[in-house]
Amino acid sequence: MLTYAIRRLLQLPIVLFVVSVVIVGLLQFLPPSSRAAAYVKSEQQLAHLDEIIKQYNLDAPFYVQYWTWLKNALHGNLGFSRVDKKPVLESIATRLPVSAELVLYAFLPTLLFSIWLGTLAAIHRDKFLDQLIRVMAVIFWSLPTFVLGIALVAVVYGYFKLFGIGRLPPELYIQLSQQEAAGQFHFYTGLLTLDGLLNGRLDVTLAALKHLVLPTITLVLVLGAQIVRVMRSSMLDELGKDYVRTARAKGLPEKVVYYKHARRNALIPVITLAGLMFAFMLNGVVITETIFNLPGLGQWAANAALQLDQPSILGFALFTAFIVALANIAVDLLYALVDPRIRYE
Amino acid sequence: MKRWQKITLAAGLLLGLAFATPKDTFVHMTFGEVDTLDPAQAYDTASGYILENIYETLYTYKKDSLTQFEPALAVSYSISDDGKTYTFQLRKGVKFHSGNPMTCKDVEYSIERLLVTNPGDSAGWFYAESLVGYDVNAKAAAEEALGENPDAKKLEAFLDDYWQKIDQSVECDGLYTVKFHLVRPDASFFAKLMYTASSVIDSKWAIQNGEWSGTKKDWKDWIGRDLRQGFLHAHASGTGAYKLIKWDGKNVVAQAFDGYWGKKPAIKNVLIQVVDEQATRIEALKRGDADRVTINDWATLESQIRGLPGVKIWEDKAWAPAVASAIFFNQKPAAEDNPYLGSGQLDGKGVPANFFQDVNVRKAFAYAFNQDAIVDDLYLGHGVKLTMALPPSFLGYDPNIPIYNLDLDKSEEYFKKAFGGELWKKGFELTILYNEGNTVRQTIAEILKQNIEEINPKFKINVQGVQWPDFIRAVSKRQLPVFVLGWGADYADPDNFIYTYYHSRGYYGNKIGINDAELDKLVEEGRTLTDPKKRAQVYSKVGRRGYETVPFVPYPLPSPFIVTRDNVTGVYYNAMRSGDFLWKDVVKK
Repeated sequence: MLTYAIRRLLQLPIVLFVVSVVIVGLLQFLPPSSRAAAYVKSEQQLAHLDEIIKQYNLDAPFYVQYWTWLKNALHGNLGFSRVDKKPVLESIATRLPVSAELVLYAFLPTLLFSIWLGTLAAIHRDKFLDQLIRVMAVIFWSLPTFVLGIALVAVVYGYFKLFGIGRLPPELYIQLSQQEAAGQFHFYTGLLTLDGLLNGRLDVTLAALKHLVLPTITLVLVLGAQIVRVMRSSMLDELGKDYVRTARAKGLPEKVVYYKHARRNALIPVITLAGLMFAFMLNGVVITETIFNLPGLGQWAANAALQLDQPSILGFALFTAFIVALANIAVDLLYALVDPRIRYE
Repeated sequence: MKRWQKITLAAGLLLGLAFATPKDTFVHMTFGEVDTLDPAQAYDTASGYILENIYETLYTYKKDSLTQFEPALAVSYSISDDGKTYTFQLRKGVKFHSGNPMTCKDVEYSIERLLVTNPGDSAGWFYAESLVGYDVNAKAAAEEALGENPDAKKLEAFLDDYWQKIDQSVECDGLYTVKFHLVRPDASFFAKLMYTASSVIDSKWAIQNGEWSGTKKDWKDWIGRDLRQGFLHAHASGTGAYKLIKWDGKNVVAQAFDGYWGKKPAIKNVLIQVVDEQATRIEALKRGDADRVTINDWATLESQIRGLPGVKIWEDKAWAPAVASAIFFNQKPAAEDNPYLGSGQLDGKGVPANFFQDVNVRKAFAYAFNQDAIVDDLYLGHGVKLTMALPPSFLGYDPNIPIYNLDLDKSEEYFKKAFGGELWKKGFELTILYNEGNTVRQTIAEILKQNIEEINPKFKINVQGVQWPDFIRAVSKRQLPVFVLGWGADYADPDNFIYTYYHSRGYYGNKIGINDAELDKLVEEGRTLTDPKKRAQVYSKVGRRGYETVPFVPYPLPSPFIVTRDNVTGVYYNAMRSGDFLWKDVVKK
């Protein structure tokens, strides 16, 4: 299994190289004036367009631009993110914890909750409970994230005055910024709930948790709905198979049949989906981040794409490729754990 | 505290119940991220908003006035008789946030740094224009003068000369007197010195942290450099009433500066929070998490904000932004390879490149534009129609010049005259582009389309929305026969608009191929006059000439408004302030 993982990891640089060439190459189809978009915000700057193109070397040929980027990238410099106003690596480093914290609290609940619901629906096939779960799953699955998100902001945050938006309440954010400047608070991980504990500041952890409630609910409902549907149908598939009949014939209790035999096998497609979902969430969930004002990777990537900010797009794409590759490896390894018949030697 | 009170409080805290922000704290939720905190690089309102509160200039605007100024880091000034030397006496006892004292050395360093670096996307060009005689940095000027691969010696000589000019442009006479030497008289120079780019920075602290040394030794390394990758991009030591605590690329935290030379501000803590989603900003305002929010348009204001308890809308009919926008008729669009001209002929399937050189066509278009619809439908009645391409609050704006408004009969009359009647017989087809998301530009294009197509079925206008990068490309390649764009004031002087719009070498004048010797003469005359009355007369003539020749039609501006919680006072509107007012003037009741 280890050799398999290493072999897969060794393919990663090739993937990253191809991704970077393709992106730089695709951007070259646009004329330099379009690629200057990230530098031109106002009519005033538009008036100095030629100078800007020269200054940032946007009219250099493809190989020159790629080589410059690659040389720097190999030295650990992925360039400067125009949309984030800081080096690309720093952007990833500051935004990843925001997305990661959301994933940390949203992913596992989403997964467990929806596996449970999916199983329940399958066991009670066509009964009221199944119908209810199916209807709810369809509703949340088809509900656009921004509708659900804005509804939560307006009703829960605005009307009932519960929880919060952003990562922290304004006063606490100001206080922490001042204490950070004075060396009294350290952002060790960027995960506020954890940093609060590491600094002995339970209030920070609690406040950060409260601010994660609404985005977490949004993600659990929207993403969970997909897993519920997959889990249900996969479970139904398994329940109809011979080995389940055999198990029942052997006189095993229904619980053992469901939870030990059928569910274990039904998890395979769910793991595949969850792996993808994990990578997707870690790369940022643009709409959720925007509505709840969380400065995660998704917001950054969306802005970079709109403004054709090449270093940011490249940085984000490489990061995505990296995460997706890792998630795939993790998924493959998990298959082996769930189903002992799967071997990678 | 009784037990039930404790329980309620604990439960409230746990759930995050709303408590309005403290009295000494001001939270503004807005959109649009700060680009940079380096004054020499920043050229956008989001950055200007922070800079105007943490840095200071020699003189500044008096509260909401654009014509009255008050001393800030200077105490007095004088202009030499030839109009070429400005002498400022500096305020003594001013400290930077680092604790360093402010002297003439800092002023000299700040302005010279601006001239040395002057990257293309910064505001450095209009200082260089006055102080060095070029509107670009040394390298770009050398390339313009000597070509792309110049002789090394010639280049060296050119750069040396440029450095001399920079070095001589700002001069210290003792610790507290600074002199600016202009290359030619420039009536707008004083106003230019109020823009945030000329903020005084802490030279000692900047140099210690790896910024330009302030000498000839390393000046060449700094020419045209992208200052966003330097130390002052995210760090600041100014003299302003507030010092920067943190800027994480998005939100800005500032704190009142104890060593400030002026009056101690009432607000101690400031948080400028970027919240892109407007619905979220509105909920935060309702809840009291935000003291001020930025609202995009009048429609949202009227439908979602007005009447909310605890919320105050600040508005005044006299307020007008320092912006002028127009529909431009391009007399010289690119003739070759231009998809927006259709066939490129006067054959009903396109337009020739000289289409708008016929003044009848320009007038016909102008009369097909419905200014009332923009004001009434888009701004819900809160708008100002412009008689000329100059903000109404600026010197020289003449409200008595007539404007073009919808008159389809007149439009038809001019269309019939155009191209000796040929245009009316054959018809035309052209494309108007707008950048997606800009509803004002889109509406203007749609109005022109609807009205013009109604006049003659052979007339066809395509309205096409494109992304900003594509829009930029089309403008830069001079492809667009008609486009809608604007200009925001860099400094409160009419020349900033008049030259840009009306002169054949001004940015827009040049882009649309204005070729009018009389206009050029008037604009140049206005530049050199120091008597405001005479200047205003000249600019009025410019406006009238613009009305007669219609190189463009200015379109109405929306009136500005400010939304805060109702316990916020000290709010005013100064069109030249990126944040409308300064934090130090805010008081919360």
